[in-house]
Amino acid sequence: MSDVLSPEASTVMNLPRRDAQDKLRGRTKYTVDRARPDTLHAAVLRSTLAAGRIRKLDVSAVWDCEGVRGVVTGQDAPGLYGIGIADHPLLAVDTIRYHGEPIVAIAADTEALARAALKAIVIEIEPLPAVQTMADALAPEARLIHEDWRSYDLLFEGGARSGNIAWEAKSSRGDVDAAFARPDVKVVESSIGVGRQSHVPLEPRVAIGSWENGRAHLQTSTQVPWTVRNVTGRVMQLPPGHVRVTVPPVGGGFGLKFDASIEPITAVLAKMTGRDVILENTRQEEMATCLCRENAEIVIRSAVTPDGEIVGREAVVLMDAGAYGGEQVFLTTMTSHTLGGNYRVGAIRIVSRAVYTNTPPNGAFRACNGVYNTFALERHTDEICAKMGFDPVEFRKRNVLGDGDLGPTGQVFEDDVLHPMLQRMDALREKTGTVEHLADGRLYGKATTVGTWFVFVGPSAATVNLNADGSATLVTSGVEIGSGTMVQALPQIVAGQLGLDPNQVIVREADTDAAGLDAGVGGGRTTVSIGAASVAACADVREKMLRTAGEMLQTKPEDLVLANGRVEIAGRPGSGTTIPAVVAHAQATTGPISGSGSFTAKNTPAMSGCAAGHFVDALDIPVFVVHEAEVAVDPDTGHVEVLAYRVVQDVGRALNPRAIHSQIQGGVVQGLGYALHEEVTITADGRIAQDSFEAYRVPLAGDVVPVAIDLYEGAPSMGPLGTKGAGEVPILAVGAAIGCAVANAIGKPVDKLPLTPPRVLRLLRGREPKPVYLHIAPSWTQNTLG
Amino acid sequence: MSVTFRLNGQTTRFHDDPMTPLIDVLRREKFLTGAKPVCREGFCGACTVQVDGEAQMACLKPMGLLDGREVTTIEGLGNGREPLHPLQVAFAAADVVQCGMCFPGMVMALSAFVRDHPEADRTAIKTAMVGNICRCTGYERIIDAVVDHLKDGAAPKAELADV
Ligand code: FES
Ligand code: FES
Repeated sequence: MSDVLSPEASTVMNLPRRDAQDKLRGRTKYTVDRARPDTLHAAVLRSTLAAGRIRKLDVSAVWDCEGVRGVVTGQDAPGLYGIGIADHPLLAVDTIRYHGEPIVAIAADTEALARAALKAIVIEIEPLPAVQTMADALAPEARLIHEDWRSYDLLFEGGARSGNIAWEAKSSRGDVDAAFARPDVKVVESSIGVGRQSHVPLEPRVAIGSWENGRAHLQTSTQVPWTVRNVTGRVMQLPPGHVRVTVPPVGGGFGLKFDASIEPITAVLAKMTGRDVILENTRQEEMATCLCRENAEIVIRSAVTPDGEIVGREAVVLMDAGAYGGEQVFLTTMTSHTLGGNYRVGAIRIVSRAVYTNTPPNGAFRACNGVYNTFALERHTDEICAKMGFDPVEFRKRNVLGDGDLGPTGQVFEDDVLHPMLQRMDALREKTGTVEHLADGRLYGKATTVGTWFVFVGPSAATVNLNADGSATLVTSGVEIGSGTMVQALPQIVAGQLGLDPNQVIVREADTDAAGLDAGVGGGRTTVSIGAASVAACADVREKMLRTAGEMLQTKPEDLVLANGRVEIAGRPGSGTTIPAVVAHAQATTGPISGSGSFTAKNTPAMSGCAAGHFVDALDIPVFVVHEAEVAVDPDTGHVEVLAYRVVQDVGRALNPRAIHSQIQGGVVQGLGYALHEEVTITADGRIAQDSFEAYRVPLAGDVVPVAIDLYEGAPSMGPLGTKGAGEVPILAVGAAIGCAVANAIGKPVDKLPLTPPRVLRLLRGREPKPVYLHIAPSWTQNTLG
Repeated sequence: MSVTFRLNGQTTRFHDDPMTPLIDVLRREKFLTGAKPVCREGFCGACTVQVDGEAQMACLKPMGLLDGREVTTIEGLGNGREPLHPLQVAFAAADVVQCGMCFPGMVMALSAFVRDHPEADRTAIKTAMVGNICRCTGYERIIDAVVDHLKDGAAPKAELADV
């Protein structure tokens, strides 16, 4: 049987992208390219106050404006939506909670006419004092941003909530007080602060709504067609089945499009007008209402023995949710798994709170809070090493999570992964060499950091139809957001399972009317979850195919194999018959061959009682990274140049190494933006100050270096063929590696990101204030809702 | 006001406000949606087209300035005999595309650049690319592909000039 390839071995590697040519020729039609001459254009009236009460709203004059076809207010879509808690109206009804909040939407013949008609709206808003910071929100007499917080529908049970604390998740394992009380330990404490990061996808959030046969149809640039379907149903108070979502190629998402936002507005307007309606955020709107990676405040404390054992650790993390809970409610979960990850710790407790403020709501951004929790944990680790005299790389090798170690919620990690990855980083460094000479008189620093993240598993469904021409059609709710999964990994996997060439696998774009439920494209889950559902669907197809072929060839199905587009008798290449012949026979005898498959999380157990308020108690598929940076800091200007960057990434199994390398290069560069240039600040009147490309500085070609990469294969994974998602984690430890390298270069602690030149200069001159969080109580327990 | 210009080789007339940006005429009237209006302020390069062979940002180009000019968009690059421009071939071969939104502009800017600077080195290519923002790729592999393209085949340069 040695000449028969297993499905794994026959999976084609480094398949080129099938969408590249159209994208390179400008032929690809993103949602933003799909307005037709008869499509109406929508414009949105947004609040210019951060907090207030709507005293009067009169849109009657809008109808007299030229070209107006429809106008909707919050009354037209009264349902509330959210993740965990339904606290978010589509259009503000009586209360304004952030600057930029949508209030009224108008559809008109052109965008200019729709915008002009906004001026006819009569609105009076009584300003309220805005609660701008988490410190303000947690103050004892703070105004409640959601007065009716108790009355909201809970979509997930278990989180503690109170007033401006939208959600609290905590984990606790072992006797932390006893660990800190040990006479032999030294206690090291770090306070860390980070700002927001804006995604800046080149295609903004945009949707086209239609009303067809009594149902809404949304074409939209989203990562989560099923969320858009369900949210649109909720706010319009329709059964979700009355909403169909289809997704053209997406021009960048990075997590921004992992929640519904403006899409339902187009459905409401389409229902009212009976016409197709496009709503596209202007760049200003896109950035001013970006569901950013949130700003956060972190205090972490550890008890470490003189020989370098971490016996106790506790942390408090405040995450700014902005005006509505959104993703931050879910992401409180990921604090334990990231800040409590990386290292073996004796006893540990972590609390994470999503806090409401009168600022634009935050959301998900590639590796989410993992990015800053990793920055905090790695800087803290370096501070432990500095205070106690350990070598930072040796300390990490001694303490990283290994086989049988317990995570923060008591999950048992399998296999040694981070330790051999650190050794692989040694080898990679050996191979590339280091480049201190390039610092050329500037301050030089190098740092090696580690990170823990996960693959967000959850439900996916797939159907595979085998066609009479020998091709197969894969139907899922997957979306191509640029990572290549839909055009590379999935056709590679299906072809490998069915003995086809990947070019014979047609991959259907997401359509919630055609494919089953899916948790969305993000969290590194597509290859894993949709891939696994596809493998299951293929198993169904194989079984039917082999049964039919067995009948045709008078051979037992178990003696048959699929290879090279044929069904062959095992060990006899060229024997048997072609797949088209089998399909034709089946179509005439038992009916067309199709198969379906599904997948969901396996729900790896945590230790009972360890985790409260967590959406995910333990990581089904942990993913690890080791990042190393070399930097030069100009002592006169504070400018940081990245001289070299190295990554060892745990990928489970690399089905398309070339595509993974691309994801790593792209993800590291987004992380460099976060670490060095990308700064979001909130103005005194509650706006995001950086609402244009001019004000928000994303990395340009001149800022980047080629990343040296080593893919670590073989760590355990429940993903198909042993894969793990590879596109999300490349950004995970960039803030950490750069922050630690800059700290090493300047010889001073780095507690905040981004490290813009003014901040680095202040650090060098001792003028950068240390983060002090008076609203975080010294005793860990006082920071919990009990 | 009336403006007569050539668009991808064909004579075209425009009668309307001369301050209308070229990008809106391309996308809304000609249905040439390859050029992307990403920032509309001249910062991202996603709207790049060529005017008389020079890379220009269509979001900043008022129609009134185009009288008698030759506008080439991504849809008009390559002359029909040649299905893909050699630079596009190089990008496809190196599998550098991700979401793809920046590439029409990137191709229009870089195809003019490599035509004019066949000897460009890596640093010169990087400098030339600062006007084209890509949020997905981290640039380096695009630069590699341009370097490879210049290395292995000076051949196509002549044809580029006449598209
Ligand atoms: S849209 Fe023209 S430069 Fe950005
Ligand atoms: S490929 Fe997405 S912006 Fe360049």
